[in-house]
Amino acid sequence: MLAMPSATTLLVGLLALPSAVRAVFRDEVGHIDYHYQLLGLPQRETTFFHRPRKDEQGSLLYTLSDEGVLGAVNPGTGGVVWRQFLAGDNNNETAVGDGFARAGEGEGWVASAYGGEVHAWDAVTGRNTFWARFPGKVKDLEVMEMTEAERKDVLVLFEEEEKGETVLRWLNALNGDVVWEFREVTKDVPLQVSTNVEKVFVVFLKGTKGAYSLKVTTLDTLTGKRLDELVIGTKTNLNDEGDIMLVGANSAAPIVAWTDAEHTALRVNVLGLKTSQEFPLVDGTVEVEIHAPHLVQSQPHFLVHSKTATGNKGEVYHIDLKTGHIAKAYDLPLLPGKGAFATSSISANVYFTRITEDELILVSSQSHGVLGRWPLKNTNSKVAPIHAVSEVIKKAGADGSYAVRSAALTADDEWALVRNGEIGWTRPEGLSGGVAATFAEIPESEELAKSLEQEAHSNPVQAYIHRVKRHINDLQYLPAYLNNVPARLISSIAGTDVTSSAGKLSRDSFGFHKLVILATKRGMVYGLDIGNSGAAVWQKRAFQISKGQKWDVKGILVNESSGEVTILGAHNDFVVLKTETGQVISAKAPSSEATTQSTALIDTASGPRLLRIGLDGKIGDLPVGKAPKQTVVTRGADGELKGVVFIPDGTTAHESTSWIFSLPENQRVVSTATRPSHDAVASIGRVLGDRTVKYKYLNPNTIVVAAIDDKTWTLTVYLLDTVSGQILSSAKYNGVDPTKPVECAMAENWFVCSFFGQYTLRDNSAQSLKGYQIAVSDLYESEEANDRGPLGDASTFSSLDPVDVPTGVALPSVVSQTYIMGAPISALQVSQTRQGITTRHILAYLPENHGIMGIPRMLLEPRRPVDRDATPAEIEEGLFRYHPAIEIDPKSVITHERDVVGIKGIITSPAIVESTSLVFAYGVDIFGTRVTPSFLFDILGKGFNKVSLVSTVLALFVGVTMLGPMVRKKQINLRWSAPM
Amino acid sequence: MSFTAGAPSPETANQTPHCPPVSRVSSLGPGHPNDILPRPLTMRIPTLLSLLGAATALTHNNPPLQTSLTVHIPPSAPLPNPAALLPQTHATLNSLTKHHSAPLSGKSNFHFHNVTPGSYLLDIHCLTHAFLPLRVDIYPSSSSSSSDPSEQSPIKIEAWETFRGNDWGNKGEKVSTEVSDGKSGMMVVVARMAGQKSYFMERSSFSVLSIFKNPIILLSLVSMGLFFGMPKLIENMDPEMRAEWEEQQKSNPMNALMGAASGQQGGGGMGNFDMAAFLAGSGGGKEDNKGGNNGGGKKKNR
Repeated sequence: MLAMPSATTLLVGLLALPSAVRAVFRDEVGHIDYHYQLLGLPQRETTFFHRPRKDEQGSLLYTLSDEGVLGAVNPGTGGVVWRQFLAGDNNNETAVGDGFARAGEGEGWVASAYGGEVHAWDAVTGRNTFWARFPGKVKDLEVMEMTEAERKDVLVLFEEEEKGETVLRWLNALNGDVVWEFREVTKDVPLQVSTNVEKVFVVFLKGTKGAYSLKVTTLDTLTGKRLDELVIGTKTNLNDEGDIMLVGANSAAPIVAWTDAEHTALRVNVLGLKTSQEFPLVDGTVEVEIHAPHLVQSQPHFLVHSKTATGNKGEVYHIDLKTGHIAKAYDLPLLPGKGAFATSSISANVYFTRITEDELILVSSQSHGVLGRWPLKNTNSKVAPIHAVSEVIKKAGADGSYAVRSAALTADDEWALVRNGEIGWTRPEGLSGGVAATFAEIPESEELAKSLEQEAHSNPVQAYIHRVKRHINDLQYLPAYLNNVPARLISSIAGTDVTSSAGKLSRDSFGFHKLVILATKRGMVYGLDIGNSGAAVWQKRAFQISKGQKWDVKGILVNESSGEVTILGAHNDFVVLKTETGQVISAKAPSSEATTQSTALIDTASGPRLLRIGLDGKIGDLPVGKAPKQTVVTRGADGELKGVVFIPDGTTAHESTSWIFSLPENQRVVSTATRPSHDAVASIGRVLGDRTVKYKYLNPNTIVVAAIDDKTWTLTVYLLDTVSGQILSSAKYNGVDPTKPVECAMAENWFVCSFFGQYTLRDNSAQSLKGYQIAVSDLYESEEANDRGPLGDASTFSSLDPVDVPTGVALPSVVSQTYIMGAPISALQVSQTRQGITTRHILAYLPENHGIMGIPRMLLEPRRPVDRDATPAEIEEGLFRYHPAIEIDPKSVITHERDVVGIKGIITSPAIVESTSLVFAYGVDIFGTRVTPSFLFDILGKGFNKVSLVSTVLALFVGVTMLGPMVRKKQINLRWSAPM
Repeated sequence: MSFTAGAPSPETANQTPHCPPVSRVSSLGPGHPNDILPRPLTMRIPTLLSLLGAATALTHNNPPLQTSLTVHIPPSAPLPNPAALLPQTHATLNSLTKHHSAPLSGKSNFHFHNVTPGSYLLDIHCLTHAFLPLRVDIYPSSSSSSSDPSEQSPIKIEAWETFRGNDWGNKGEKVSTEVSDGKSGMMVVVARMAGQKSYFMERSSFSVLSIFKNPIILLSLVSMGLFFGMPKLIENMDPEMRAEWEEQQKSNPMNALMGAASGQQGGGGMGNFDMAAFLAGSGGGKEDNKGGNNGGGKKKNR
């Protein structure tokens, strides 16, 4: 062995990367980019205030969101203290139900469960204290209050669905060791675990679906042995788990409650007792929630929150600990509008906070006397609370007044903190869970464009008069413009941002000012102003998506001329909105069944539109005006690809399959890629070092299909001609992991695919490779330089007609190369610029590093010389020696130090200036920036110091004006001085 | 073995997987261009990593062998205090169809549970620091059957540095592994740090000092000093010394030049230059006449 390469090798490797990587300057942070550090929607059961250190005063707000992000939020500022993306490693999202999170009162940890994993985190630092993975799925997680030692532990309920078994495990909160395990082999559905002072209760659903009854198993705390088992008659039909409300997990008297389907009465059972009590509900109740304290020392009181269509009401009940009798204590009046309740406890006292749309009320569980009432200020943004958590502090002093802060989730998917009636902060958590996004021009100057068009089409005299009129009309804006000039001048010199006047959306001359329309899985649509740090201009709930469902958006298209955006969903739903205001023009709510496989952006006689492709690739006949001019590629029932053309017949166009591409057996499509709809190509050839030209194969009708064979672990990448279905090229990669993501992207005359590979080399079987890889292929018209292949200079060609040369169909010449990446990449996208002169970046999310990387296309050049240094001609061309590894150069990470989590998609758009491409990434977080792959060559960046320029000019001016008289004086003196 | 990206030695160059793992699938579709790659490409069917296959086959007789693995981040020069690492730092173990991920614990450890034998790529993902990739081999200990089973862990773990883009068999320095004192079978691998990540470019800032560092500016400053300082120096000279010096100057070839320079300075030369006369061709005579007016001063100066 020779000397070991180590850190220095890596360093050299990093340095060897081309200096063409354009990193972010520190002063551009927050100027060109913006980032929403989101958590997702907080869930009712997994959100709480918790004091992370027993002896310190401050508490933090913890939540495990619907996106699977566990986070700690500073309740004072709303800033994220730490977060952990629990869903990050769960590739199969569907297998995961809700997460669970709990914190032990007075303990320094927060426990969470997601999928089959249990974690405990340090509540202050967010570091892991232990984690464990068990078979099955976590159904509940509770804090074990009573342990033999002076600490609290964790109880976790697992359901092993395949075996039909339920396992309750007591885990030591310090190291995750299993203290005891209770296994129930009956096929009952586990629901929840609760503890009181002496026992542990496990609640099951017994029976079959639709006719369940409740079973409560009592366990001994210390040994985990079964003590008792009770079956409780439910009297009403319990259909599924959702009908049961379980509360007061660790209170002195934990209860279980359920209602009938009509919500007329509530039945409550104190765990450990055989009997249940019934209480009537308000007429027209649609939803019932129960709030109870989670602490053993708290009084056994609970609140029933019944929601009707128009209002909401609270009823407080007390439980007699000795007899288990439940008695109603008092009512809180039925108030109109949405409202939320939250429970807080100070030692044994229990407090209920009620948040309505206009006030915050604090009551004690003992009596209905109002302890505090705070009207909500700054009500311009209406808070419609869905659920809330509160922290109540009794102020020291004689008056005994209270201070309350509540974090409430609003109907607009925002998370707001109300501190004594004032809104402390709001977090736009609704922006998380993005499923589709697109760029839209600000539709303001469309009027101008129209009038210009009108002028172009009318006769010169009329056009002139029209123009003069228009200019006179424009004069009314002159004072405002002049007013703006000093501010603009100052901000331009100081290098600060020019704020758009009075919040009005307007385009800018560089094209950086655009809108992003973002659709989230919860049925919300947002209009974000990316020229203003991604601030939400409007937000609109397109559809009310029920819990557990998600809005499966299949296509989104902006019609710039009408200023409308169309969003197509999988369930035969669509919504059309105004891009500027979010006003819904037309909409159709989702049906219960999925009808759409995907959508395709097509060109029709009536302009571009989205075509809905039904299940199994069925489209059906279309009116001629709406029929696509191109071939549409669909997926058939058996996974085959079909090329579909539409043949006009009178006023309708009939669907006709023009080709079918059946994959070989065992192969399944894992990724496809086509050229982006805006894919400007500046040059049709590549000039080589010796001044010859290699012509690019620029076929607009191509698609890249990556298919994997799960048995042999081979990935085959096909390049198909979408008109004829002809395979233009195919490549096979061995040892590709089918369980890890495979993604492809395509632009201009090249495509890339990324995958995890592990294989022995073909040219040296003694060597093997392991790692994340990216394969890049360039397509050229001919292998030879200065040769345009069989088609020559023909301006048109047909994929269907054979070319009149003996070699047959014009196939591209493919040059390929594979590189090993330093980290996995996903959500591949290619940067777009207006003319395509700027080199391209392949933008990719780094799921492990929580960042977005811009891989320069130059780096992935397949023609880089192998095993030798580049010749001067090659260097001139921009080629340098091939090195198989591409490390994640921090300088190429466009998100730099930001921790960007859970990106699902990246979209890019050209700006008016050629150098710049706009980037927007969505998923859990929102991130947007501008990238300049070939540097900022057409506008002055922030590095251009206007102050020094102006001060230099001023200094020169001052110097000249001062020196002028001096010189003149000296000359005069010289002339008049007597010769001596 | 030394391996640098700039100029690798011939052996290491051979280890680079320069050949794209492309093979044409000739069975699919018509008209396959089998010969369009510029490099000659022979069909070679690679075998999957035999090591992994062998390891799993060995262990599949009874319940699958599993082990726990701990990766530790020690304090190092780029990171004196590992407690400062961000909580989202995590480590991954990857192999074909296997993926394990572990979060960072309070003691700067990553605990992997239920890891089956195989050859893994260990990466540590951190926002602020870069770590070297490691190769972690977990395999059943061959001696476990012979020796006392209670003493010996049935699984052995070894770790080496590995080099991306190199042969997987090209192992680097062995990374210390140790059996942690607690449970048997818990192995600790010590992570290696490459350095801190710097995401930002430095903006070249304007400073007066940087201007004065420029050699051209320095040169011009010196000559300017001579230009302005010389006449003053001469003026302040003792009259006798000056006469002596002027005598010397006459024999000096630089004399004319210096004289012109100091003359311009002293007499504000350009201000007196008669352009019209010069262009008219009578420059010589006029200059002399003017010189009378001015040259007196010049002479006086000397």
